[in-house]
Amino acid sequence: MLFTLALRNLWRNRRRTLLTLSAMVVSSALLILSLGIFSGMLQDMLASATEQYYGHMLVNREGYQEDRDLYLNLSSSRALDEVLAGEPGITAASPRLRSFGLLSHADKSYPAELLGVIPQQERQVTTFAEHIAAGTYLPENLENGAVLGAGLAKKLGVKPGDELVFLTQAADGSIGNDLLYVTGIFKTDSSGDKSLVLVGLPWLQQVMALPDKVHEYSIRLSDPRLATEERIRLDGRLPAGLEALDWGMMMPEMREAVASYDVSRFIVVIILYVATGLGILNTFYMSVMERTREFGIAMALGMPPGHIRLLIFLEAFLLGIFALVCGVGIGLLLTLSMQTQGIDLSSYVTPITYAGGTILPRLRTVLEIGNLLVPALLLLLVCLVAAMLPAHRAAKLQPIEAIRED
Amino acid sequence: MVRILFSFFLLATFCMAPARATELNLQELIRSVEDQHWGISSQAVMEMSIKTTNWERTTVMDAWSLGRDYFLIRISEPAKERGVATLKVEDEVWNYLPKVDRTIRIPPSMMGGAWMGSHITNNDLVKASHVDEDYLFKMLEETGATWLVEGLPREDAVVIWGKIVYLIDKSNRVPIRVDYFDEEGVKVRTMEFDRVTTVGDREVPMRMTIRPLEKPGELTVMDYRELAFDVGLDKRFFSLRQLKAR
Repeated sequence: MLFTLALRNLWRNRRRTLLTLSAMVVSSALLILSLGIFSGMLQDMLASATEQYYGHMLVNREGYQEDRDLYLNLSSSRALDEVLAGEPGITAASPRLRSFGLLSHADKSYPAELLGVIPQQERQVTTFAEHIAAGTYLPENLENGAVLGAGLAKKLGVKPGDELVFLTQAADGSIGNDLLYVTGIFKTDSSGDKSLVLVGLPWLQQVMALPDKVHEYSIRLSDPRLATEERIRLDGRLPAGLEALDWGMMMPEMREAVASYDVSRFIVVIILYVATGLGILNTFYMSVMERTREFGIAMALGMPPGHIRLLIFLEAFLLGIFALVCGVGIGLLLTLSMQTQGIDLSSYVTPITYAGGTILPRLRTVLEIGNLLVPALLLLLVCLVAAMLPAHRAAKLQPIEAIRED
Repeated sequence: MVRILFSFFLLATFCMAPARATELNLQELIRSVEDQHWGISSQAVMEMSIKTTNWERTTVMDAWSLGRDYFLIRISEPAKERGVATLKVEDEVWNYLPKVDRTIRIPPSMMGGAWMGSHITNNDLVKASHVDEDYLFKMLEETGATWLVEGLPREDAVVIWGKIVYLIDKSNRVPIRVDYFDEEGVKVRTMEFDRVTTVGDREVPMRMTIRPLEKPGELTVMDYRELAFDVGLDKRFFSLRQLKAR
């Protein structure tokens, strides 16, 4: 009986109910959309930070990344390949050899970091191939091709087709040096542009006198946000002396950035829902005030105060459910519509680099279940909390005084 | 009062006179120590043995120098690296790589890097010759046979070492040991000299051993097989063309 009563009460002042309802629907739909955009930006930032150098995860000799000691290298082995292939979360792995040395063209020379890679494997873990500003990515058939960062290319004054000399100390103490041909220049707007060069793995192994050796495997995961879990799982299965590192360990500032994103997301939720909550509170307060006489009569006829309280809560709950269904529905539609296309802002804003990640000038959403669930449940909660005060007031009414009131 | 002033004056003269005298002498002394292997001009054959935790190797080099600002060093052994050469002209260092037939100028940012894989840095080659100009020297201890001299950087000097301590043999003004300290005052490198031989009109240590203290067990030994002074070279010899000659 209370349920029917609640429904009827809501329907009685249709305009007010619809106004409140629309405020709730709009706020929750917009919240779902903005959380989707937040997730999209976070994904862009994470992708740019990880996929423009490290990859999502690394496997290397224990302690290698601390000093990048030339001699902490490993041979590619079947055992390791099998371990990597056996992890369903791992979608690709690229072996790399690293060398620091002097890169020279004409009378200019600068220190550089060379990364020896197998082109078709490297392009599965990093996105350099998609950021080629001039020339082409490393071709498979050219032994001594090189793709270097735009900043470094500018300092050296080279363009595709030019020749470079690389000078370093090889692993046997000898002076490693050889010629490279620039095939392309990449521009990622990250720090790698200033010093990084991609070269062929066999070429670098020969210059460094490190045949068949690599320093690390860069790994791509199907979901980079699960890198920590994947790292822990993989760590236990790796051959002795090797370790797995996730992107959060390589880029602690990026992990902080993700954490601060979560906080700002939370703040947006709070602000939006406090505003919505006050709107609901206002509606219910008004409706309780208007019905003082009515409640008085109901109580005089024998309705217990608890039922009055329950009635108001039921009204709020029903309103919340309506708003939730509509809001989530609209929010979902908005999110899905912006998931593939997005809004391009590149003519208004330039990319922002923060904590090693780049936020692209576009509004694109990513659908996450949490982004629907949290706003929906919070909306219901806000509804019930907002109804608390009016419900309490209604339940405390004195029948005689309430009936006398106009 | 007059007596007090007089004794103060006496005291002051006693204190200052030797100090002023040694300051001049010390700079001269360090200059002669740092320049011991460079004459007006010199020609040498050196053997450099390097030992690190991962490898050991020996290279033989021909070297020419003029004053403190010009030198040319070319590897003759091992065969794989024959012709690799380093040219220093004033503050610039160039390397020649015969394998690719290219000359590379070492940029200032790489001056801290190892020279030919040894424990000598490019900076040592460029800056060592200016030590007497960039540091202020003080006599720490004088015994019957040795001087112990400390060098601290001048305020305005751009230097690599926070402190250098020389142990010098008084009889022939030849260094026995030089200790290098970083800016925190930690001893990071020692250089020892022995096999003192008379070349021309002076005594020169023919062997020096460099030990980086942060890498125990590693060392570089420079051994002069041949050394001759005043061999009649001029500046024109120290050219990029000469760098490439084999």
